[in-house]
Amino acid sequence: MQLIQLTVNGAVHHVAVAPHDTLAKVLRDKVMLTGTKMGCEQGSCGACTVMLEGSAVQSCVTPVLRAAGKRITTIEGIAQGSQLHPLQQAFMEKGAVQCGYCTPGMIMTTLDFLKENPHPTENEIREALSGNLCRCTGYHKIVEAVTAYVAGTGHSNEGERQYHMVGQPRPYLETAKKVSGTADYADDIKVKNALHCKFLRSTHAHARINSIDLEAAKKLPGVRAVVAGAHLPIRFGVLPISQDETAMAIHKTRYVGEIVAAVAADTEEIAETACALIKVDYTPLRPFFDAREGCGDVGQDEKIHAHTKYNNNIHKKAELRFGDQETGLGQAAHVIEGQFIFEGINHGFTEPHAATAWWDENGLSIITATQVPHYLHRYLAKVLEVPMSRVRVIKPVVGGGFGGKSDPFPHEIIVCHLARLTGKPVRTRFTREEVFLTNHGRHPSDMRLRLGAHADGSFAALDADVLIDGGAYGSFGVVTTYYNGVLLQAPYRLDNFGFRTRRVYTNKPQSGAMRGHGAVNTRFAIETMIDELAERLDMDPCALRLRNFITGQAHTVGQFRITSNGSAMCLEQVMRQSGWAEKFGKLPYGHGIGVACGFFISGSALPIHWNEYPQSVVHLKLDLDGRVLVSSGASDIGQGSDTMLAVIVGEVLGLDLAHIMVLAADTALTPIDLGSYSSRVTFMAGNAAKTAAENLREKVLEAVAQVNGTEANELYLHQGHVRSNDGKIGLTWVEATEMATRKVGALTVSGQYNSPKLGGDFKGSGAGLSPSYSFGAAVVEVKVNPETGHVKVLQLWGAHDVGKAINPLAVEGQLEGSWHMGLGQALSEQMRYHKGLLVNGNLLDYKIPTSLDTPMMHTNIIETIDPEGPFGGKECGEGALHPVPPAVANAIYNAVGVRIRTLPITAEVVYKAMKEKEKHVQTELA
Amino acid sequence: MTETLQATYLMPATVHEALDMAAQHQGHCAFMAGGTDLMANRFQGNNAAPVLIDLTQVSDMKGIDQRDGYLRIGALETLHQLAKSPALSEFTMLREAAHSVGAPLLRKTATLGGNVLCENRCLYYNQTEWWRESIGYCLKCDGDICIATGGRNACFSELVSDTAPAIIAMEGEIEWVSPLGTRVQPLEAIYTGDGVKSKNLPDNAIVTAIRLPLYRNFRHSFHKLRERESLEYTSLTLAMAVDGQGNGKVAMSGVDPKAVVARWAAGALDKGALLKQLLKGARAVDNDMFTRGYRRQMVEVYLSQALGKVVW
Repeated sequence: MQLIQLTVNGAVHHVAVAPHDTLAKVLRDKVMLTGTKMGCEQGSCGACTVMLEGSAVQSCVTPVLRAAGKRITTIEGIAQGSQLHPLQQAFMEKGAVQCGYCTPGMIMTTLDFLKENPHPTENEIREALSGNLCRCTGYHKIVEAVTAYVAGTGHSNEGERQYHMVGQPRPYLETAKKVSGTADYADDIKVKNALHCKFLRSTHAHARINSIDLEAAKKLPGVRAVVAGAHLPIRFGVLPISQDETAMAIHKTRYVGEIVAAVAADTEEIAETACALIKVDYTPLRPFFDAREGCGDVGQDEKIHAHTKYNNNIHKKAELRFGDQETGLGQAAHVIEGQFIFEGINHGFTEPHAATAWWDENGLSIITATQVPHYLHRYLAKVLEVPMSRVRVIKPVVGGGFGGKSDPFPHEIIVCHLARLTGKPVRTRFTREEVFLTNHGRHPSDMRLRLGAHADGSFAALDADVLIDGGAYGSFGVVTTYYNGVLLQAPYRLDNFGFRTRRVYTNKPQSGAMRGHGAVNTRFAIETMIDELAERLDMDPCALRLRNFITGQAHTVGQFRITSNGSAMCLEQVMRQSGWAEKFGKLPYGHGIGVACGFFISGSALPIHWNEYPQSVVHLKLDLDGRVLVSSGASDIGQGSDTMLAVIVGEVLGLDLAHIMVLAADTALTPIDLGSYSSRVTFMAGNAAKTAAENLREKVLEAVAQVNGTEANELYLHQGHVRSNDGKIGLTWVEATEMATRKVGALTVSGQYNSPKLGGDFKGSGAGLSPSYSFGAAVVEVKVNPETGHVKVLQLWGAHDVGKAINPLAVEGQLEGSWHMGLGQALSEQMRYHKGLLVNGNLLDYKIPTSLDTPMMHTNIIETIDPEGPFGGKECGEGALHPVPPAVANAIYNAVGVRIRTLPITAEVVYKAMKEKEKHVQTELA
Repeated sequence: MTETLQATYLMPATVHEALDMAAQHQGHCAFMAGGTDLMANRFQGNNAAPVLIDLTQVSDMKGIDQRDGYLRIGALETLHQLAKSPALSEFTMLREAAHSVGAPLLRKTATLGGNVLCENRCLYYNQTEWWRESIGYCLKCDGDICIATGGRNACFSELVSDTAPAIIAMEGEIEWVSPLGTRVQPLEAIYTGDGVKSKNLPDNAIVTAIRLPLYRNFRHSFHKLRERESLEYTSLTLAMAVDGQGNGKVAMSGVDPKAVVARWAAGALDKGALLKQLLKGARAVDNDMFTRGYRRQMVEVYLSQALGKVVW
């Protein structure tokens, strides 16, 4: 250790450092300034950017001794006391902040480059920020914020006036903390005396574990506990029907990277050294990497899981048939067939998983980056064999999830166990590689579809045969299996519709739920085939879609109840705005335009755990101070659900945000919400909040009516006042509160959301049922380099039917982020394996599009006012992704005439297809 | 062995001081300039030198000046500075090459010397210690076989410097100092073609400058193949320069452990032969997110584009 002096944000710190420590680690762990984030530790994400002597550096690749004696500015030093810097202000106001994890780096980088170039063009801003990855915003609002800051233009968000709170664009409640670097993510919270946990991971894809020798690791000074699989034998899995995983591998390993043992030690370095001392003796088994191979009989070889039904690795088969596909296809004038193959992809959230657990007089507590505190609560209780009443899950600020933090995870269970063994808090934080190995990303898929249409373009039949690669464990896979089929039954009318989907276990990190869950890949297939069909019919692809849309309120062939439907409005809007009619078929070779539509659920009507508990409960507490405490289990992971709850409660009570405080996602303090997945939170928690607020309104108005000798229905709440229709009563909220709390004290009320009973009377009818569905469309314009195959997306026009935008700034952010993620899947992202080992588990080789790869986006919110959604609101955070990959593929076809049926569509894929086409044309000419 | 040695971080003020430090810690030290490449490699366990000698404070390795008919660029000039340097007006291809490296913030720290010396890369090598153990260590990390090729007894990790091809195409030279004195060589001479030990420089050599010949009136063309428009090591970089006399030279990185170089004399350009020579030199293997086949095909595409631009 060496004692050095660092001047950070003007304050002098004397810190003891190891000679090879990085500046990032020292700032976070020794100076305790955690606004500097670590997302990759390899200089490939930009989250750790700080100023060293006034010039930006990535602190994760800066040796701390280079900074000794120097002046450092971190994000915490940008605001002047409580006065935000105008750039921070601009990030807030423009909605450039969602999860906020990349924000400190973005702000530091921007301040740095503006010193050299104070008046950048839009492209120069994109260029300057192209080393800072963001996964939430699609960069659109970040570029807008920088532009506004440079131009010195202030706040210009003006919403409608139908409601005083709903529909007003506003930054999230916690945004000031996020732009200041003071928002606490899981790894930022330092619980004193915590031990550090590291994991030993399997080096074999499929192998029997003969023995594990922990002794040498245990003897290392500073090691406090070492555990292996046998210590935690109880199985878990997010779905009650897929309890197929243990916290650490027992008897055998099922993928390279599976946790085999864990160490708690005084420091991370000691824990890591100890892991290397653990000896595991393996006998390799035949590994299965290919889903199709996994469908076959394994013969004498060992299956991945003993519990699968036959002597193969098929985890789940789902099949539903409506009408008669064969007859429909037989009657069709045109039948399009296609096989579509996709690599798996990862969520790529910027904040790696992290957790700290401890035990005290109240039992177990864990602070962890999770989207599903409730499910984690259940499975911690199950695996650790403690009553649920002794488990507390606390969700801090979370740096993005997208489905990647929506399972209970082994590392969460293990740190709890180690904390119990050692009697001390135990923490862990993942490297980016560990994030990739944990995965739960989108399933690699191989699908064959047939789509038939009559001569007039109306769809005659659709049949899909889908194979998805589940990896080693179940996760949400049974749901994914169904979604791959059932979510094809809209937005188009289909009478003869059927599918078979099989999910297969393979010896790879498990697949799970990811933004747009289960429907993205099949949507790519069908929307590509519609494009093909339009060409066959000599019809405009937009016209063909408009011809086939389910219109208005309807039931689909599989009994999905559609209550609000903006399909045609979305498509017509992007057609108009993109100049579709002037461009389609009229652009020169190499330049193309493509379109596609989408459809998604707004929450699952059937809960994962079959019980009669509401899907969401919100409590409100009003005390003498007039503050309304909103208490909800809903998990804000950067999508803005805390703000949504406050806005809804404020709307009902006629209050502004100054009277409202949100307490969320702490299973000891907040009532249960099932979690942030399947686009359910605004619809379900929002409705629960609305009901709770209505209940509180009733109580307050009744009390005021009684005190004032009038009837409650003569009173209303408006702009922080209780007023009577005759104008005689005009009380402030606090005065009304005083009346309402007389004799009874604080008022507490509850609101619940229970889905209506939905669905048909057949087995499997529950899959994909939702109280509401969302619709969307996208048009993409591309240039394809005819020599290299490189695809440059020029512009994207998107429209999404969100029912009603409760917070338009947040809704736009969700849409733009979804489109960005869709572009990544379309063009560059893939998880590539070599003998079951992920070869690109880092942010250099896993290609999340940078700001330069992301085009200008034109954002359209379409409002259809869902009859059951809160103020008409429904899904907006996932469904917008669906149209993007097929719109890109269709645009590429339009540009260079090659039909791509695999994702991602890298330059190489386009190049090969163009070459093959050339060869084909030459052969035909010959 | 190295574990018992004390971790040390040294910051010499002069080249001579740096050489003395290296002599003192011979066999256990690594020089580091910006460190953007080395620090990432250390994070993955691919560099474990206990003694790091940080050269960024060395005074006589910065600055750009003209000497003896050459533009001499100090090895510590950052890529960011070079990308906008007016001093490179005669060598704008080097600006372009510098700008194509990594991402904006990395270029603010990364240096020219570091870029021409950056460690060769391979998808099967630039991985964590655990990962390399899982797959069975490759030749470049003390294993027995090359994983990327499924067993060949040679390492094909790629030279990924983007500035090196530009410098080489413009007949640039490298100046390095060792206890034996100062040496100047054509830059291509330092690349061995062996991915394991990819630079033919003594361990205690310090690269002090890059020299580019003045008044050659180069016309040039620079091409970099990458998936994203930023934040990428190269999958193929091709740089071509033709001097005022019409003598041409083309250099590539990203497709071989060394720079692949071909040249032609004024009036003797044979595109077919040139392509053949480049492809023969480019021993690319499937160790990149783009396949070997595609990268080789792009050699032809870039060659044609470059010739179209610089040869009239």
